[in-house]
Amino acid sequence: MVKLTGSKALFEALKAEGVKHIFGIPGGAIIPIYDALYDVHEIRHILTRHEQGAAHAADGYARALGKQGVCMTTSGPGATNLTTGILNAYMDSSPVVAVSGQVSAQALGTDAFQEADMLSVMLPITKHNFIIHRAEELPSVVKLAFKIAITGRPGPVHIDLPKSVQVSKADFKIPAKIKYEKSPKLEPEAGQIKKAVDMLTKAEQPVIYAGGGVIWSSASAEVVKLAEMLGAPVTTSLLGKGLIPEDHPLALGMLGMHGRMAANLAVTESDVLLAVGTRFSDRSTGDVNCFAPRAKIIHIDIDPVEIGKNVHVDLPIVSDAKRALTAIIKGLRSHARRGRTSKWIERVKKLRRELAPRMDYDEIPIKPQRVIKEIMSVLDENAIIVTEVGQCQMWAAHFCVMRKPRHFISSGGLGTMGFGFPAAMGVKVARPKCNVVNIAGDGSFLMNSQELATVVENKINVVSCIFNNRYLGMVKQWQDMFFQKRRSATCLGKVPNFVKLAEAYNAWGDRATRPSEVAPKLREALRCGKPAVLDIPIDPDEHVLPMVPAGGRIDQMLT
Amino acid sequence: MKTRIFSVLCENVPGVMMRISRPFTRRQINLDSITVGIEPTGLARIILMFKEDDRMAEFMRRVLVRLEPIVSVEVIEPERSIVREVTLLKTRKLNKKQLLKMVQQIERAGGRVLESKNNMVIAELSGEHDEIERVINALGPKILKEVARSGQVLISRVK
Repeated sequence: MVKLTGSKALFEALKAEGVKHIFGIPGGAIIPIYDALYDVHEIRHILTRHEQGAAHAADGYARALGKQGVCMTTSGPGATNLTTGILNAYMDSSPVVAVSGQVSAQALGTDAFQEADMLSVMLPITKHNFIIHRAEELPSVVKLAFKIAITGRPGPVHIDLPKSVQVSKADFKIPAKIKYEKSPKLEPEAGQIKKAVDMLTKAEQPVIYAGGGVIWSSASAEVVKLAEMLGAPVTTSLLGKGLIPEDHPLALGMLGMHGRMAANLAVTESDVLLAVGTRFSDRSTGDVNCFAPRAKIIHIDIDPVEIGKNVHVDLPIVSDAKRALTAIIKGLRSHARRGRTSKWIERVKKLRRELAPRMDYDEIPIKPQRVIKEIMSVLDENAIIVTEVGQCQMWAAHFCVMRKPRHFISSGGLGTMGFGFPAAMGVKVARPKCNVVNIAGDGSFLMNSQELATVVENKINVVSCIFNNRYLGMVKQWQDMFFQKRRSATCLGKVPNFVKLAEAYNAWGDRATRPSEVAPKLREALRCGKPAVLDIPIDPDEHVLPMVPAGGRIDQMLT
Repeated sequence: MKTRIFSVLCENVPGVMMRISRPFTRRQINLDSITVGIEPTGLARIILMFKEDDRMAEFMRRVLVRLEPIVSVEVIEPERSIVREVTLLKTRKLNKKQLLKMVQQIERAGGRVLESKNNMVIAELSGEHDEIERVINALGPKILKEVARSGQVLISRVK
């Protein structure tokens, strides 16, 4: 037992969790913690320029590394600025641990300066949240927060730390282990696995639909193995992108509203759909009444709340994805029957071949498809693509061929414009040896472009490729397609000059206006030894196609 | 829609009621009754009643189980449990006829008069929800000035 202030104890607890990086901004109600940080050398603090940036950076960090990302802010506006980032992490099941200062315990509820009722604000947007009232609780709460964030289905956890707790001294003991009552059921029921094996061996047109849960369960290899054993093509959600190498003969690409047509048709024609670690989001399913209409659906998920939430499931398996898939693979080994799906594989390969998207446009202004083609020609399989939200994101999701899990990082559930750039910063801190490219739109990039100061100051060399169409492009696309081209409030005009914006922050900036310029300039950006912004003016009239209108059937895509 | 009864065992800490009620609010489900009692273990037992279809009721059960401070959620079938409610009734100043009606109704329902002064009565009534509802409706607002109700408490029957 040692007598420490709450602030010092916080860092002892964070060090015990192996925290190496914190993204944050200090303020009045967290000065004692930042004072303690002054003497902590094991943790690198990255001072972002907006708290939202800190939350997204911690989120990106967590997704790239597969462990908890940490952000830290002051009370009131500092803490409320975290909320978009925290909800983003919640919707995408990302283990962010957020710590914010709070006014002293005796001032709580008095509308004190920079007081916000963060317990209430964070409650609906976190997996769990705490306010610490007694300094002695601090180490066990931190330990529990880290445990909750990563256990089972991951999610963000917020800790509110009143200033009085930060400064009070108490006897602290960092617990080596903590009893956690809510550990999920990891092992699948043997009976359910047997049924799944039966259904899958009888299937003639099986499809695997896999999501982010597979990545968190480190079950990518099992998905590929199972696909090969069954002869089942694999489609993924946005968050599942890369869990199967997308140049694998059985990979169909993303499913849904902006998915690949081949994936949408295969799911619609399937007779057994094995969904794993995915939540059947409306963006994936379209009209649920017409989703996989011929298929018996098997759903593997660690979170029982997801079973049957959006679509009727014929066989639920509540389990860790890796354990369930391993058990199914084992069950299939004892079945001799194979090769029943050869006709199906031929059909799927034909769909893939015939519906392969075109990317080789030569026009100026450049077509976004061509930009993606050029970007992918420069990057190796270790590069990590992070995206903003909107058209740029869906072009990336549709056209980028990813080969590894955790190498495509995007805001799925919340669709947060402004996510990509700070998230890319977090990704680069987590994986400094990988090239990190943020695929951005001009609208999204401006929502958190202040982080240019952070990346330059901290030498976090990410490259942002701005698909510059001078529009809030996805909204404009919907206006064009469904609102008689009434482009209400979506035109962004001609400013700013992104090259000068980058240079104003002492970052590298350049512009590529011809298709042939994209690759060499991206290579230069990656080599320049600075954070970089590559402005790429694209055809403003280009839509993300094919697409399923909201609530439409996924087999009826507009092209 | 059928009445659902959840018996929720949870930590007895500030905010736990908010954590439990919020998912209902979000899905526009009205909680008809909430009662809280502290168990000998120090945990709180919260009895929730609401009306929903089977699918949503099961979904809400899973949503509650997922919450950190919740230890367990038991789905209670009304027919396999004993449900009681306690009600205190205060009348307006009553004439003789009303006074008679009040006392008769209360006694017939197994309640008792606790206080009677200046033609005003305070009575206690306990029993099943529907019976209490019946008495309150029979007396009506011309007789009753104030009603305090415990909400429904229940315990599952001995197996």
